[in-house]
Amino acid sequence: MCVAVPTRIVAIEAGPLPMARLEPGTVPATCCLAYVPEAQVGDYVLVQHGFAIEVLDAESAALSLAAFAELGAIRAPGAPDDAD
Amino acid sequence: MTVRLIIDQAVDGADASVIAERSPEGALLDARLDLSILPRLEPLLLGRPVAEVPPLVERLCGVCPAAHHLAGVAALEALHGIASIPAQARRVRRLLHYGSMLTMHATSFFAAGRQEALALRRLGKLAMAAAGSPGHFPTTAVVGGAAGAMVADAATACAESVAAALAGARDLFRWAQDDPAATAERHAASSDTFLGADVALVDADGRLDPLGERLRAIDPAGQVIVAGALASQWDDLVALAQPEAAASRPSLLAGGADGGHYRVGPVAGLRVAAPTTAVAAELREDWLRGGGGTLAARAVMAVHCVEAIADLVAGQDWIGRDDTEPDKTGPAAAGRVGVGWVDGARGLLVHRYRVDQEGKVDQALVLTPTAQNEYWLSRLLIRALTGDSDHLALENAIREADPCLPCVAAPAGHMGVKINTVTKDR
Repeated sequence: MCVAVPTRIVAIEAGPLPMARLEPGTVPATCCLAYVPEAQVGDYVLVQHGFAIEVLDAESAALSLAAFAELGAIRAPGAPDDAD
Repeated sequence: MTVRLIIDQAVDGADASVIAERSPEGALLDARLDLSILPRLEPLLLGRPVAEVPPLVERLCGVCPAAHHLAGVAALEALHGIASIPAQARRVRRLLHYGSMLTMHATSFFAAGRQEALALRRLGKLAMAAAGSPGHFPTTAVVGGAAGAMVADAATACAESVAAALAGARDLFRWAQDDPAATAERHAASSDTFLGADVALVDADGRLDPLGERLRAIDPAGQVIVAGALASQWDDLVALAQPEAAASRPSLLAGGADGGHYRVGPVAGLRVAAPTTAVAAELREDWLRGGGGTLAARAVMAVHCVEAIADLVAGQDWIGRDDTEPDKTGPAAAGRVGVGWVDGARGLLVHRYRVDQEGKVDQALVLTPTAQNEYWLSRLLIRALTGDSDHLALENAIREADPCLPCVAAPAGHMGVKINTVTKDR
């Protein structure tokens, strides 16, 4: 199954292909909002291959992040890997 | 053993990686898509109270949480021996499922018709809201029933949106079926080369039913291999050649051509049976005559979803009635196995749980459409590598099998397929 972690939009550049800048430390740093024109700054989105495919409400984003954290699957940016 | 998922890679997945196995002389022996990016969640589910498993799995899947929600609850119901649920609960679950499928099918058509695709996505979202799941993660189904009745405002909005959505979906089918840009993809990756079985869920009358209780399999000639198996028969139905791998290579124990290998999804479904709704059934005939293909099949299923949503929200007399009350049951018996399934946008999804005497999972299987279609994709890739071997041929092969991978969200021509050649002795 395709795992997807929510990331937050911090800025949007309007245009024919609106682009969003995502929360610092996120990979990727930007994504295209063509598939989710309703997305706004502050929303969480699921990104695949540079395109936001889904907008999550805050509660859903929190549930998703909690599930990943419960499995120990989220590594904070800059945190050492266990293998290091 | 601790399993660590590298989330950075999942958030923006690597380009598609094709592994080509060649002999020392250069002959192509095999080809497959590298699925190692897909995490195996089953080891992480072991030891958990079984009731926690469906919500955990659905929250990890960013793409189709509704399918996992419904399959997981069905598996729990099987564990508790619940054979039927109230009529209204079935209705809202179907509304959730069709809405979810429609939103997923819509994403295939943004390039062809952005307004039509957005209209389909909006209707899908409204349907999910009408089913009581307005957010990304569904809450509609509970063990034995549903969390509540259909939501009147959202159901009314669905009914008002259907006509425009249906017209748009029909236009998208015509584009997928007839436009040279769309048909090139189909011709480049013809499904006719697949020698395995087609598998889909059907209703008691043998018609296509994404929430059907029965599984049907047919061979390439259309002969029935499995007429109508129940989920409880799963262990006697399918075997996994590599159960620990993301590419688990399931096969039908009943056999059939090509060693029992099979595929699932819109192409398989439309070959197995006709949809239950009128316009989609008619378009299916057109699709069969036109040679089939994933994109057009998704369009037929999008039409079917719109029609099904229209049927489910039609009439106001049932809105507000709430015979969704779940059955009250005790804990599942130790050693008992529960299997739940749904036919989602990409095909059959199976959840199988076994519990110990404390009601905790001691065996788990989440068998995705991607895993079940991996063998089909392998055949498509071999064909592409034997032919032009250019990136577009490989990209078309991948899109035909439509794995649930980040790369398929890339616009046409931008998938970024990498070929890793491995030399093997014959």
